[in-house]
Amino acid sequence: MVTAPYTREIDNTQDDPRVRAPLVTGDNDFGSVTNKVCSIVEDPRIHRAWLIMLAISVSFLGILGAMISYLVWEGVGVWGVNNPVGWGFAIINFVFWVGIGHAGTLISAILYLFRQKWRTSINRSAEAMTIFAVMCAGIFPGIHVGRPWLAFYLFPYPNFMGMWPNFRSPLLWDVFAVGTYATVSVLFWYVGMIPDLATLRDRAKNKYRRIAYGVLSMGWRGSHRHWHRHEVAYLILAALATPLVLSVHSVVSFDFAVAQLPGWHTTIFPPYFVAGAIFGGFAMVLTLLIPVRHFLGLKEIVTLRHIENMNKVLLFTSCIVGYAYSVEFFTAWYSADRFEMFTFLNRMFGPYQWAYCVMVFCNVIAPQLLWSKKNRTNLYVTMFVAMCVNVGMWFERFVIVVTSLSRDFLPSSWGMYYPTLIDILTLMGSFGLFFTCFLLFLRFLPAIAMAEVKTVMPQAHLDRGHHRGAGDYHGDIPGAHKVEVKAEV
Amino acid sequence: MPSIDRKKAGQQYWRSLNELADTPEFHEFMRREFPEGASQLLGENRRSFLKVMAASFALAGLTSCRWPKEKIVPYAHRPDNRMPGVPVFFATSMEKAGVATGLLVKSYDGRPIKVEGNPDHPDSLGAAGTQAQAAILEMYDPDRGQAIIHRENGQEITKSWEQFVESGKELFAGLRTGNGSGLFFLHESTASPTFQRLKKKIQQSYPQAKWAEYEPINDDNERSGAKIAFGVPYRPQPEFSQAKVIVSLDCDFLGSHPASLSWARKWAEKRDPDGEMNRLYVIESLFSATGAMADHRLALKPSQIEAFARSLAEAVVEMHGLPDQLSSLKGVLSNEGADEPDAEVVEFVRAMAKDLVDNAGAGVVFAGSRQPETVHVIAHVLNSALGNIGKSIQYIPGADPMRPTQREQIEELAESLEREEIDTLVILGGNPAYDAPAGLEFTENLPGVKHTIHLSLYQNETSQLCEWYIPRAHFLEAWGDARSYDGTISSIQPLIAPLYDGKSPVELLALIAGDEPESGHDIVRKTFDEHQYGRVEQDWRRFLHNGVLAGSAEPLYAPAINVDAVVKTLAQPSSQAETLNGAQYELVLFEDSKLFDGRFANNGWLQETPDFLSKLTWDNALLISPRDMETLGVKTEDVVTITAGSRTLDVPVYVMPGVAPGSVAIALGYGRTHAGRVAEDAGVNTYEIRTAAAMHHAGVSLKPAGRRYKLASTQDHFAIDKIGFKERNERIDEIIYESTHETYKNKPEFAKERGEHFPKVDLWQPHEYNEKKWGMTIDLNKCVGCNACVTACQSENNIPVVGKEQVTWGREMHWIRVDRYFKGDPDKPSVTPQPMTCIHCENAPCEQVCPVQATVHSNEGVNVMVYNRCVGTRYCLNNCPLKVRRFNFFNFNYGLKEVEKLHFNPEVTVRMRGVMEKCSFCMQRIEAVKIAAKNERRAIADGEIVTACQQTCPTQAITFGDLNDENSQVSKKRSDARSYTLLEVLNLKPHVSYLAKIRNPNPLLASASEEQSEDHGHGALHS
Repeated sequence: MVTAPYTREIDNTQDDPRVRAPLVTGDNDFGSVTNKVCSIVEDPRIHRAWLIMLAISVSFLGILGAMISYLVWEGVGVWGVNNPVGWGFAIINFVFWVGIGHAGTLISAILYLFRQKWRTSINRSAEAMTIFAVMCAGIFPGIHVGRPWLAFYLFPYPNFMGMWPNFRSPLLWDVFAVGTYATVSVLFWYVGMIPDLATLRDRAKNKYRRIAYGVLSMGWRGSHRHWHRHEVAYLILAALATPLVLSVHSVVSFDFAVAQLPGWHTTIFPPYFVAGAIFGGFAMVLTLLIPVRHFLGLKEIVTLRHIENMNKVLLFTSCIVGYAYSVEFFTAWYSADRFEMFTFLNRMFGPYQWAYCVMVFCNVIAPQLLWSKKNRTNLYVTMFVAMCVNVGMWFERFVIVVTSLSRDFLPSSWGMYYPTLIDILTLMGSFGLFFTCFLLFLRFLPAIAMAEVKTVMPQAHLDRGHHRGAGDYHGDIPGAHKVEVKAEV
Repeated sequence: MPSIDRKKAGQQYWRSLNELADTPEFHEFMRREFPEGASQLLGENRRSFLKVMAASFALAGLTSCRWPKEKIVPYAHRPDNRMPGVPVFFATSMEKAGVATGLLVKSYDGRPIKVEGNPDHPDSLGAAGTQAQAAILEMYDPDRGQAIIHRENGQEITKSWEQFVESGKELFAGLRTGNGSGLFFLHESTASPTFQRLKKKIQQSYPQAKWAEYEPINDDNERSGAKIAFGVPYRPQPEFSQAKVIVSLDCDFLGSHPASLSWARKWAEKRDPDGEMNRLYVIESLFSATGAMADHRLALKPSQIEAFARSLAEAVVEMHGLPDQLSSLKGVLSNEGADEPDAEVVEFVRAMAKDLVDNAGAGVVFAGSRQPETVHVIAHVLNSALGNIGKSIQYIPGADPMRPTQREQIEELAESLEREEIDTLVILGGNPAYDAPAGLEFTENLPGVKHTIHLSLYQNETSQLCEWYIPRAHFLEAWGDARSYDGTISSIQPLIAPLYDGKSPVELLALIAGDEPESGHDIVRKTFDEHQYGRVEQDWRRFLHNGVLAGSAEPLYAPAINVDAVVKTLAQPSSQAETLNGAQYELVLFEDSKLFDGRFANNGWLQETPDFLSKLTWDNALLISPRDMETLGVKTEDVVTITAGSRTLDVPVYVMPGVAPGSVAIALGYGRTHAGRVAEDAGVNTYEIRTAAAMHHAGVSLKPAGRRYKLASTQDHFAIDKIGFKERNERIDEIIYESTHETYKNKPEFAKERGEHFPKVDLWQPHEYNEKKWGMTIDLNKCVGCNACVTACQSENNIPVVGKEQVTWGREMHWIRVDRYFKGDPDKPSVTPQPMTCIHCENAPCEQVCPVQATVHSNEGVNVMVYNRCVGTRYCLNNCPLKVRRFNFFNFNYGLKEVEKLHFNPEVTVRMRGVMEKCSFCMQRIEAVKIAAKNERRAIADGEIVTACQQTCPTQAITFGDLNDENSQVSKKRSDARSYTLLEVLNLKPHVSYLAKIRNPNPLLASASEEQSEDHGHGALHS
């Protein structure tokens, strides 16, 4: 049962060569982890804070619905898009949300394959975030078209006209890439969640929960055979998802890179976009998890070490993104192409200079704070940087989409882009959808992958005695000692 | 809007049906979903069922649909030469300010849909301007006056024509007994022989009646100047084929001049870089189309132009001397006493004078209609002194030599109004309450007249003050005749019965004259017969068929100068010089290139046509030079207060390079209050500061008003951020290839050497064009930026009007636009217009990225849009390097009234929202010719397919045809040395190519060498 939120931070970020740093701190065993995670879902009370947040999120979701209805009723003209800037907030939001959706799968799949044990505490919520972000992203390509009721033309379905979509168009690749990514992410998330859902089913105290979680856990009994199948399936899905992490944002970047527009037509885009997506995704994971671990009493499971690790990823990807920004300038200069050169000068000094400055400050300058360990383990600094990155990554897409389009080849068709209120409310509405889903997720599904966390706790390795396997946690630090004693009992 | 009694209005047409609609059977029909007789359709009741159906149909069409009153013949057997769905062309003409333009109007099943120029008309030569082409929209305008309104005691009552005739008969019978005293006619300028005939007739029966002719944009100064110079108000008629040097003293003869269509054609014919090229000098205060075409342009304040003309005359006399008969002019042809012009102007004058003298007998000097008569006199004297008259310029007599100026006429009318001498005022067309000079108190005194009758297309500002308002028949609905600038008599024949039962001016005059036939046709025919324009019926038919009366042009004269009058006039500076003396700024009030004097204000096509240079739509703005922008501390869209004497006006500023520093300019014709819904809130009414003493130029002071006003411009304006400004200037040379005649003669291949040269590799298998490969060339050397192609395309391709707000968002829909780029010193820039439309690339970036294959390449090389398939991702727009694609952001065609839908071209899909569109090379025209050729089992001839833009281009700058045919015009032009394609770096392989612009500067003038003659074209890239 969650009582008062656990306030004391345990510093498990020390890298002592003699001991392995614990990934679950405090006085925890399997039972207490299960209790802590399940109690969030099982608590019969409804927290006022949660309710208020949900109410706000649902209001914004309502705004999103209203905005989309208005859009479909009136036409794309309610947005600020124009000639020459044919894409505006909708595509920016799409790329932004797809980018956010990156961290989840990266954490679950790539870190899994790389045996990064610390992923277990955060992968579930990161994956949930991924799915909700992809949901948000998926809305935009559908509604940004002029005739949304015909958007199904983008799918290659057999029809009597013999019409197929244009397989040369990156937008079509996008449909496949995002579609595949969303499918695999949902599968991966769900498969990983089955044992935990079964735990919830077993602990359920009323019929409805029992039925609901019972259905969701698909008859999981925890047999060795189940575990074996589960682990193999999980590994295969991880292997499937790993290339998708790289492909989806590469394909999204093709939307721009394959076009011949200066500022879009760049070969650096795929890696640059992927790095940016991981960057933005991790920032969003931090933005979500820091309050979550605080309010839901999960500080012992999502520890400072996790946060520091994520900060390191943030710093690294920030450097890649910063490098990409500068290399773009070099490439533009090196190309000796007048249009290309101007596009980048225009980004820096043109009418959208402010947006460029926001982007550089948020994505390149602010994360430099994380070189210092003190800052990496300071939650306020972390939160500040993460928020910066969230804003900065949105602006990165704004800069790419808008500045390139607003001034391309013929000066006669240069034009400015200004968002309308509808644009802004739609963006805010998409956050409403995202947070509504996330808040419901926290309340109804296990926010921590209990089964996986337990595998990185020392108790999981008691049977192996002193033969400690590589990468396992071994309770050689205070607190863990007690655990061992307990286990011997 | 006044409440029109629709029931009454409708009754006269639908009397019997309306009554039928009130029968019990009809009510029963309305109550039940199916009529009573439906179940017994074949029985006895079939007749009444049909009656009932007819009644309901009648009700549905009560307000818009018109059925002929007289006899109806079933269409069971197709009349000869009538094929449903096959368009028929009729020749007619449009008279504007007394000058007619010959037109051909395309009509589908009795519904006119497109106005084109009449190739047989000497003043059109197949071209039509924007205003003439937009007349289609005007005719179908639902805001036009639709019923006769009688205003009495503050009430507006709808009356029928019969009721009007009844009261009119009584009124005019009374006036006739008084010999017409107290009767005053005010009419627009017209040269219609029928009008003149009826006028004479009325003058006989009402000898005391007075007449006034008034147009706010008139030829007063031209007439006065010619009257002084020759004693007769001659009209200049240049022979461009003979002219090597053309000097325009503020004369926009390629743009706003009434004869600009044919003059531009003839001028452009002598701009062939491979042959002879004339040289054009333009001296003006604002930037006109002619100024943009000039080889040398000098921006001077209005007050300096007269001094300049005198300096020019002085220099010419000095170099050339004077012929004996003009020798006494020597004393007055000098600029003594005036301020010494700066060195640059002196140099300009000398170079120009030398050029004129070297080409004596092959020069033309024009003076513009805004210039005072003195400048006109100097122009005529120069033409005479140089021996140009009779060679490169001839003259035709203007009508009615003794006529006072229109300004004097409107002043006389205003005085009579003031003195309350008028009993009955008949206003035929026009809108004096809006456009009469300020200070005449026209609006105040007009309601005091006992009886006023206003015949007008719209219930405009003047109609609101008149007792009777009579809807005028649009020229496409009426019979008439007119004369073009060269005097050719042109026919006006109706394409459709008057939609709102309007009457033409001649019909109204015929009614007043009495003893005249009722129908317009008979009235005009009577003139034709009386004047013996033809002998037999055939002649009349030929007149209507051709649209012109052959050989009716005025004879050409080579008049001699009236020396005494000239000496007297030139002895002192014009009165204008006095008014402008010491003014902070000199204001030029000019006619709008779209709305003219304001009469076309309710025309969406015209309102949305971007002005050639400012690219402004839906507004007028104070054009101000970049230098004055800095002195005043204002920028584009800032509001300034103009103070002219005791009058003030707040107007937004638009910074326009090339406006003479010290002068500012603003268009007339905006700020209408009763023009209709389209014109609402469009611009400011500049007539408010236009007094009779200063009709064209006024001394004003300017003060920032501290407000801003949003202007809708379709191209970036002059003052943008530094980096964009710099880049734009550097990029122009890559987009517009331009050189001088000198360089071109030495190195004709200069265009080929520009651009990027590297091996180009196709990403895809190149397209194959086995039969046709359509292509187009646009000759930048000929394009004068008149916008005629824009309107032609809008009309041909059903392009919607989007409104000011959407234009400010950058959502205008024009498929072809005219880009313009300023180059060089902002105070004396050169400018080149570049018509830009889809260039139909072989490697089309748009085709590749469309996810649903809604834009594809045809096997004839056209990049086609499949509207049905388009979902509207706008990816193609983003990837189009020219941004020529247009997206329907809203349902721009939604909510059109039935009558507005009639102007649509039935051959072209009307696009819904969410669909991308763009130039289709007039696919429907291509197909029409292909089908005809196929039926006749023959090949398509070169030049047989004419796109809408090409068809109307006054200078024939556009050529269209088959690129697979080596001998086609378009192939030849494409292989011309000047030919180049846009953005070669992208390897687009476009099917539209441009021909480089060649200017012909005077080697004596330094600025001539500033063109990038030796530059390889890469600019900074090579440094």
